[in-house]
Amino acid sequence: MGVVRIPYDIKKVKIPRGEVHIIKERCKGCGFCIEYCPNGVLIRSDEFNAKGYHPPIIAKPERCVNCGLCQLICPEFAIWSTPKGEMEAFIRN
Amino acid sequence: MSSTEFTSREQSQMKRTGVYVCHCGGNISEVVDVKRVAESVLGQPDVVLAKTHEHMCSETGQNLVINDIKEHRLDRIVIAACSPQFQGPTFKATLDKAGLSPYVLEMANIREQCAWPHFGFPGEATRKAMSLVGMALAKVDLDEILKKLTFPIGRRVLVIGGGIAGIQASLDLGDAGFDVYLVEKEASIGGKMMQLSRTFPTEDCAACILSPKMADVAANRNIHMLTYSEIENIEGYLGHYEVTVKKKPTYVNPDKCTCCGDCVDVCPAVAPNELDQGLLSRKAIYLPSPIAVPHAYVLDIKACLGLLPIACGKCKEICDPGAVDFNMRPELIRFTVDTIIVATGYDIFDAGQKKVYGFGQYENVVTALDVERMIVHAAEGNPMRPMGKRIAFIQCVGSRDEQVGNESCSRICCMYATKLSQLLKRSDPSRDIYVFYTDLRAYGKGFEEYYKRAQGDGVKFIRGRPAELVEDPRTKKVTLRAEDTLTRTIIESEFDLVVLSVGLRPNEGTEAIAKLLRLGKSPDGFLQEAHPKFRPVDTLTDGVFLAGTVQGPKDIPDTVAQASAASSRAIRLMNRGEYDVDPVTAFVHVESCDGCGLCVDRCPSQALSLSANVAVINEALCKGCGSCIAHCPKAALDLHCYTNDQMLAQVRAALSDKEGPDVRTLIFADDMTGYRLADNVGTAKMSYALDSRIIRVPSCSRVTPQLMLQAIALGADGLILCESEKNSNPYPHSVPTIMSHVSKAKEILGQVDIAQDRIHFVQFVTVMLAGFVNNINRLSEIARKLGPIPAEPLQRLSQDMDKKLFGGDHDS
Repeated sequence: MGVVRIPYDIKKVKIPRGEVHIIKERCKGCGFCIEYCPNGVLIRSDEFNAKGYHPPIIAKPERCVNCGLCQLICPEFAIWSTPKGEMEAFIRN
Repeated sequence: MSSTEFTSREQSQMKRTGVYVCHCGGNISEVVDVKRVAESVLGQPDVVLAKTHEHMCSETGQNLVINDIKEHRLDRIVIAACSPQFQGPTFKATLDKAGLSPYVLEMANIREQCAWPHFGFPGEATRKAMSLVGMALAKVDLDEILKKLTFPIGRRVLVIGGGIAGIQASLDLGDAGFDVYLVEKEASIGGKMMQLSRTFPTEDCAACILSPKMADVAANRNIHMLTYSEIENIEGYLGHYEVTVKKKPTYVNPDKCTCCGDCVDVCPAVAPNELDQGLLSRKAIYLPSPIAVPHAYVLDIKACLGLLPIACGKCKEICDPGAVDFNMRPELIRFTVDTIIVATGYDIFDAGQKKVYGFGQYENVVTALDVERMIVHAAEGNPMRPMGKRIAFIQCVGSRDEQVGNESCSRICCMYATKLSQLLKRSDPSRDIYVFYTDLRAYGKGFEEYYKRAQGDGVKFIRGRPAELVEDPRTKKVTLRAEDTLTRTIIESEFDLVVLSVGLRPNEGTEAIAKLLRLGKSPDGFLQEAHPKFRPVDTLTDGVFLAGTVQGPKDIPDTVAQASAASSRAIRLMNRGEYDVDPVTAFVHVESCDGCGLCVDRCPSQALSLSANVAVINEALCKGCGSCIAHCPKAALDLHCYTNDQMLAQVRAALSDKEGPDVRTLIFADDMTGYRLADNVGTAKMSYALDSRIIRVPSCSRVTPQLMLQAIALGADGLILCESEKNSNPYPHSVPTIMSHVSKAKEILGQVDIAQDRIHFVQFVTVMLAGFVNNINRLSEIARKLGPIPAEPLQRLSQDMDKKLFGGDHDS
C-alpha cells in the first residue's frame, strides 16, 4: 500500500472513549503524561500552578481512549481517566 | 632406432591417444575433409589411431570408442565433432562405460566453431579443423586422471515465502520425507492468493481451495512453519547453508489462543487492515485472516498503544486463557539446510506512480486487488462500498509502460480483468462494464473460452488505452477519455468506479534475498533462472531454486507447477545423499608455495586459506573460476581441467601452423556465455575471421596476464577475452578481475612498445550474435593492420616477465 488510505468502515468502528481529569496543583511538571500519552491528548500549558510548574492541558480530548497510562505513570496521582462510552474510531499513525 | 620402435619402458610412459573425427551426418564433412584431418594426426607420437565416423554420438559411434579403448588400450581420447557443450556429457559417459576417467576426453569443436561458420571456405576450414584437433591433442596430453567430485548432502530444505508457491513446494518436499523450514514474513501463510475472490477461468473460490492446503502444511510433521519471521542471514553453500531467522513476537501464544475475539472488543487502537488492502479497518490485536494458518490472533506492535511501558493492556486483562503475553521478544533462530527454494512472490504495481489515473486522490479509482476484496465482502453480504452501475477497467497499468520503467507484460491482468468484469456483471446485470485493453491476452487453458463468455455476458471490451482520468469535484464520479482504436472514435464517458488492472512487480523481500544469496535479476527485475529453456527453476547458485512469481508474473497453475518443479530439482540433488560435481577446482603446487598468503583474500568464494604455511583450497566452496591463479608470484596455483600447462600448450598448438604473413587471433571464451555464443554464431551459420582460434575457459578470470603475454610472445597477433556480462555471470567477481588482468597485461605491452590494442575484453550475453562476429572481425582487422610484432619488442617482452608481472608491487 504505497498510498495512505482511510478504511471505508472507519466511522462504523467504535472504540472506547475516555475523559481526562487533572488535579493541577499536584503536578510537579515531570512531563511523563504528556510524553507517554499514546494518542497525543495532552500538551504542556503555559499557566503555572502554585508550585511553579506547568501542568498538562487536554489539547485533543477526542483522542482519549481511556488507556490509563497517564494515570499509571504520574508520580503524583495528579491525572487519571474515566470511561466515557464509545466514539468513532480513528487511525493513530 | 626407427621412429616406430620403442622400448617397453618408453611405451608404458607414453600416452595412448585415440582420435575420432566425426562426419556429423554431413554437417561437418560437407565442409571439412574429415579424412584428411584424421590422417594429419597419425604421425604424432602419442596417437595410436585416428578414425572417422558418420555419427560419433550414435550408439555405433560410441561403441567404436569403447571397443577401441579395450582393444588398443587407449588412455586418452580426442573427439573432433560438435561442441563439448552439446555432446560432451554423452562422450564423458562413453568413457566412463569403457572404464576410463571421463576427464581424459577432449573435444575439438569442428562443427559449431569451424564447419558451420566457415562453410564458404572448405580448404581453410579443413586447415583450421586440423589446428583445432592439434590444440585438443596438446590439451589431452596433459589431462589428469580425475574423478567426479562427490559431496554429502542432507535432507533439509529452506522454503522462503509462504504463498501458494512456498506452500506447494513445502508439501511436495514434506510428503517426500524431507525436512522443510517454511519461513513467512506475515503472521499467516497464504500470500496473495488468500486475498483473491475467485480464480480464472473456472471461478473457484480462492480461499476455499487454498485453505485445505494451508491446513495440510500445518499438519505435516516434516514442515516446520516459522511465520511472522524474516531471514536475517544466510551463509554457506550447497549442503551447508547456515540460516538465521528473526521471528517477530506476536505477543499472543498460539497454543493458548482460542480465537474468541474478546480482545478485539476492548482494543482502543485501530489500523487499516492489510488483508483488505487498507480499505477496511482492524484493531491492533487481530486475526490476520479468517483462514489464517497458524490460526491465532496477532498484536501489531506498531498499531498498539505501546508495550514499553504497557499503555493499555486491556487485551491481556480480558484474555481468559491467558494467551496474551507481553513478555514475548524477537527470537533469533539458527539452523542449517542443504537446499533453498526462494518463493517470495510479488507486489502489485504502485498505481500512485501513474499520476494521470488519480489513484490515491480520486476516491472512485481503485486497483484490481481492491476489487477482489470488495467482491469477497459483497458476496458475504457486507459490501464495503457501493460499486455503482458504470464500471471501467483500465488494462496494462504499470506494465508495457516505459514511463514507469517496466516494459514487460504482467501476464495475468487481461484474464483477471475478464474475471472481475464478469463477476461484477453477473452480480448485477444492469451494470455497464467496460474493459479498456491494449491486447487481450488469453493464452492459457480455457482462457479464450472464458473471454468469449465475458463478451457474451455483455462486458464491453474497447481496444484503447485511456490517457487521463478526471474527477467531478461534486459527484466524485470519474470521467475517462480513450480512443476506441478499432472504430476510430473517441470515447468520453463518466464512470462510478474505475479499476486499474495493475501489473506484478518484484517485491522488497525478493530484493533482500537476492542480495543475500547473490542471485541475478532478469531485465524485468524478477529473479533470473539459470537457463530460460532448460533450467527454468534453477538459479546459478548451486542448491538455490526459484518458484512462483518471484521468477516472473504467472497465474496460479503455473506457480504450482513451478513449485513442484523446484521441489523436484531439490529432491534430485538431495535424494541420493550425495551429489556430483565436475572436478574443475583450483589446486596448489605445494612444492612451489611459500605460504605468502597473497592469494587468500583474492578468492571471490572464500575458498582459499593458509594451513601449515601452505595455501589450501576448500573444494566444496571453490567454483573453479581461476581468479586466484594470477595472484601467485610463485605460479603455485593452478586449475584442474584447465591447468597452466594445458593453457600454454593449447596456445602453442593454436599458433604452430602460422605461416608467413598469417595473423592469428586467440579468443578466450567463457563456458557460460562466450563459448556458448560462439556456438550460437556457428549454428546461425554466420561467418567470421578464419584466422581466429577459440580456447574454452570456465571463466576468463582464468586468463592470467602472464598467459596473455606469453601468448603474444609466442606469436599471437591479437587476443580477445569474451565473458558473460556482469549481471549474468555465475562468477560474481570475474568481470572486475578480468578488467584488472587485461589492464595489467596492456600496461606491460605499453612498456615494451607493443600496441595495447592487440588485447580486447568484451562482455556478452548469449544472444549477441552480431556483436560477437563484429568484435572478432574487428580484432582480426586490427591485427592485420598492425602486422606481426617485430622481433625486438617481442624479445623485450619475454625478458624478466615475472619481474614485470610481480616485481616489487605485491599488491597488484
